[in-house]
Amino acid sequence: MARFRGMDEETVNQTLDFSYLRLLWPFVRPYRRAFLACVIMLVLSFLVELAGPYLIRLIIDGPAGDALTEGSEDYSRVWWLGLGLFGSTFAGIFLGYHYTMLTAKNGQRVIRDLRLRLFDHLLRLGPSFYDKNPSGRLVTRITSDVENLNELISTGVLQTLFDLLRIFGILGALFLIDLRLALYTLLVTPLVLGVSLLFRKYARAAYRRVRGCLGRLNAFFSEMIGGMRTVRAFGQEAAVLGHFSKLNRETQGAWRQTVLHFALFFAIVDLVLRWSNAGLLLVGGTGILAGTITIGIFVQFYLYFGKLTEPIKALGEKYNVLQSAFASCERIFKILGETPMPLEVDAPIESQPGPAKLEFRAVDFEYLPNTPILTGIDFQVEPGSTCAIVGPTGAGKSTILSLVSRMYDPSSGQVLLNGDSLHELSLRSLRRRIAVVQQDVFLFSGTVLDNVRLLDPSITEERVRAALEMVGALEFVAALPGGLQAEVEERGAKFSQGERQLLSFARALAADPDILLLDEATANVDSDSEARIQRALGQVISGRTCLVVAHRLSTVRHADQILVMQAGQIAERGRHDELLAQSGIYAGMIKGLG
Amino acid sequence: MLSFTARHQLICASRVVEERLKADLVQHVSRLPISWFDTARTGDLLSRLTQDVELLRFLVGPCLMYGGSSLIFLSVGIYLMFSLSLLVALAALLAFVVLLVGMAVLMPKLQKCSQEVQEAIGDISQRGQESFSGIRVLLAFGRAEEESAGMRELSERYLEHNLRLAKLRALVNLFIHSARDVVLMLVGILGAIEVIAGNLTPGEMFTYFALLGVMIWPLIASGWILASFHRAYAAADRIEAIFAVEVESAEGECPTLQGHLEVRELSFTYMGQSQPALEGVSFELPEGKKLGLVGPVGSGKTTLLSLILRLYDPPPGSIFIDGVDVLDIAPSSLRARFAFAAQDPFLFSDTIGNNIDFAGEGEGGDAQAAVFAANLEEDLEGFAEGIETMVGERGVTLSGGQKQRLSLARALHSGRQTLILDDTLSAVDHSTETRILDRLPEVRGDRSMLVSSHRLSAVQDSDLIVVLEKGRVSAIGKHSELLERPGYYATAWQRQSEEQALEGGAD
Repeated sequence: MARFRGMDEETVNQTLDFSYLRLLWPFVRPYRRAFLACVIMLVLSFLVELAGPYLIRLIIDGPAGDALTEGSEDYSRVWWLGLGLFGSTFAGIFLGYHYTMLTAKNGQRVIRDLRLRLFDHLLRLGPSFYDKNPSGRLVTRITSDVENLNELISTGVLQTLFDLLRIFGILGALFLIDLRLALYTLLVTPLVLGVSLLFRKYARAAYRRVRGCLGRLNAFFSEMIGGMRTVRAFGQEAAVLGHFSKLNRETQGAWRQTVLHFALFFAIVDLVLRWSNAGLLLVGGTGILAGTITIGIFVQFYLYFGKLTEPIKALGEKYNVLQSAFASCERIFKILGETPMPLEVDAPIESQPGPAKLEFRAVDFEYLPNTPILTGIDFQVEPGSTCAIVGPTGAGKSTILSLVSRMYDPSSGQVLLNGDSLHELSLRSLRRRIAVVQQDVFLFSGTVLDNVRLLDPSITEERVRAALEMVGALEFVAALPGGLQAEVEERGAKFSQGERQLLSFARALAADPDILLLDEATANVDSDSEARIQRALGQVISGRTCLVVAHRLSTVRHADQILVMQAGQIAERGRHDELLAQSGIYAGMIKGLG
Repeated sequence: MLSFTARHQLICASRVVEERLKADLVQHVSRLPISWFDTARTGDLLSRLTQDVELLRFLVGPCLMYGGSSLIFLSVGIYLMFSLSLLVALAALLAFVVLLVGMAVLMPKLQKCSQEVQEAIGDISQRGQESFSGIRVLLAFGRAEEESAGMRELSERYLEHNLRLAKLRALVNLFIHSARDVVLMLVGILGAIEVIAGNLTPGEMFTYFALLGVMIWPLIASGWILASFHRAYAAADRIEAIFAVEVESAEGECPTLQGHLEVRELSFTYMGQSQPALEGVSFELPEGKKLGLVGPVGSGKTTLLSLILRLYDPPPGSIFIDGVDVLDIAPSSLRARFAFAAQDPFLFSDTIGNNIDFAGEGEGGDAQAAVFAANLEEDLEGFAEGIETMVGERGVTLSGGQKQRLSLARALHSGRQTLILDDTLSAVDHSTETRILDRLPEVRGDRSMLVSSHRLSAVQDSDLIVVLEKGRVSAIGKHSELLERPGYYATAWQRQSEEQALEGGAD
């Protein structure tokens, strides 16, 4: 059953581009022996396939025929030939089974490797890539697109070659058996082929219409379910239903069109096949009567002839499979071709845990050319001290935090950690020293424990418990059914905003970072939670080098340094009291507050 | 010609059945109470509409067609075989029976296994979705390698399921092929013996081969049909379960209402929940006034507004309009009073203009005033096709704030008596919000307004502010009164002022 795919697929080219096979080779290479085994099995099974009808011919023309003409009753030859037939039949079955299994295994292994490679690569692409690519589309890449390659890799290429081999092999065998019958076959085959091709052309267009209609219908249905409250509130049930039935009718119409094509096709192919069969009988029958061929030969020919249609039909279907596989291939390798952001230097320095001093040296940053977000940022944060950043939305506050965890690289200037440029450090060693608390707390599905330790198994349960306790979250976590093992469902919908904040503080504490990057939440929490969050904040900050985008007066009051940002520049800096004394921008900002 | 007509008629009929079934299902679903949608998952519903309906269609269409033709082919074929030679026919039949039984046993397993495969890929897809959505967290904490390990595990599991599926498929194939080949072999050997014994001519033996060729496909089809019966039953049960849910009652009076709202000791608990969402909420709002509703997330603001709209049924005797219990008013007539804008609004994949005029009752059809009040005019100028721009899918993808403002415009544009804004400006930035709040009074006119918001600036000028905490009214009054009382309102006001100040928006 075809999985429903998003309708905003990027358009890709429609021709078969075999150069993608070259790109796939590195993934196939580790399993090349297994693939070779498949080829051998294919050839063997083909020989066995040809052997069956040949043995039957021997039986008919041999002992059976002799019995008719000479009246001999030679059962032993029947048994011997029967045994041969028995053997070849079971050899065929055996080969077929193992071939299917092995191709499946090959395909699946290659697919798995490709998927993991793609996933790893995606994880190395920086946030700027994710800004441009909606996650839904990326999911399609690691699922449907990778799946699409399965058939190409497991059976696609091999089977296509094999189908060609079979067609020519069988035709060759036919010619060896009887020239007249073979010539007749040559005459008929293109007819069947032509009808199939013609049909495919129409059917494809019809199916495309069906897919379009179905996509619209299903999308609308989903929308309708999602928006039922709005529909209800505005009393628009009738209008919505009307639109649905319009789409529904269109879909039905489109289906009927394909049915017409299909019914016509089957009828015609059936007719052509019957005629060609009748013709074969006619040609064969006259041959037998004229004594040019034996009944056994005719039976053998007839059985071979029947085998011919299968690979021909298969080839026709392969075209579509290959086409969609190549389209997926293009999309996958486009992602694999993206340069990881940011890049690591060749021999990166491993950053060692310990007191961390941060320094921004003449940092400029622009996201798009000629639209600077930060210009000439210069500041230092001493180990264990807190630096608060304030200023209007869009002044570049969050960007400063992103530069510290090296989500982006500065356009010019340097960010230094204990005197080393971040650029020189290994990404992992840098990021393992950092914890981030964001406004939007992202909770993964899994247990509370998983979420606090964030996949790192080296963080023990005790440490998680301690972290939860320190931020004052242990109480509500323990109250959950299952406690630490309670499942976080649907992105943590069952946690209140305050609880989510506390969980993210616990996450940061459990990671025991040297550097804390904190975007203070615009919290809409009850007074209790607010007090708890304030206490937790104190716990998390103490003893670490902190950069805080501040939203609370208490935070800026206690900060060792405040940066007042305006339009991507540091407009003022200093401690709370110093800045107040300057009676500049900062003083104006907090004038009138307690 | 006959096969063409039969195929065409039957399949077309099945498509008509499909359309009707879908239409009935959707009509029913559209009338179900909102509480039903809280637990129903869109994905599940979609698979009812697509996969399950398709299974049933398959039963009436292709199954009937292939079943009919298979039956004819098989019975004629078997009769012919037996009339030729008992021994050979018995042997062939035996192999056929083995095939049929094998298919009947394997098919359900195959379906179960393929479902497991679907679930496994579903897990991968979900994990991917989460990794990509939470990529910033993963990257910032340097946990990409650990995430990869998780994905590796899922991929391994998927691979195993797939290999199991491949094995079952191979077995099914094996059955089909071996049945064909074994029959061929048996007919070859036994036929020869019969020929030698003089019971059969070589010509008749050929007839066997021809018959076998004709019969193999109907046989495989029978196996499939047997298996799909089983699935279609399950599908029918699932669809039936939806039809069994009772639809919302449409009955009640349709009085002419002024709009005096009274909530009296309202308590409400969601189905399946133990904690009440609202407890003992009371207040009164005269016609034409503005109500502000504030409180932490989860305090019951949205629930209260939903109950007033009767998206859920409140307990009797708790909500009154002009002294009439809302339960006595026909839902359609009640809702026609309200223009509603939700925090997470629903927009059709249609033009912006059609979305604004969703209710189809805009005054004079000109949406300019509503567009201006919702501060959408600049956004519209940015779109090439202005108000005719498509939303979503094939058109522009709107930001959360734009969606909210569009939904606000939709509510303002409808000429309804009472505006309900459920935290409609939560994703809108400060300066835009201020602009909207300035423009709102003019379009509002003398209409009543119920506004819930987590930003106090949006409710500051209300005639009445209700503070909800954990489902209860913790304070009630005007802005100036609430500021003087210590509690949520005063604290939140302080916090929000600080925030605004530190963001440089104090002036």
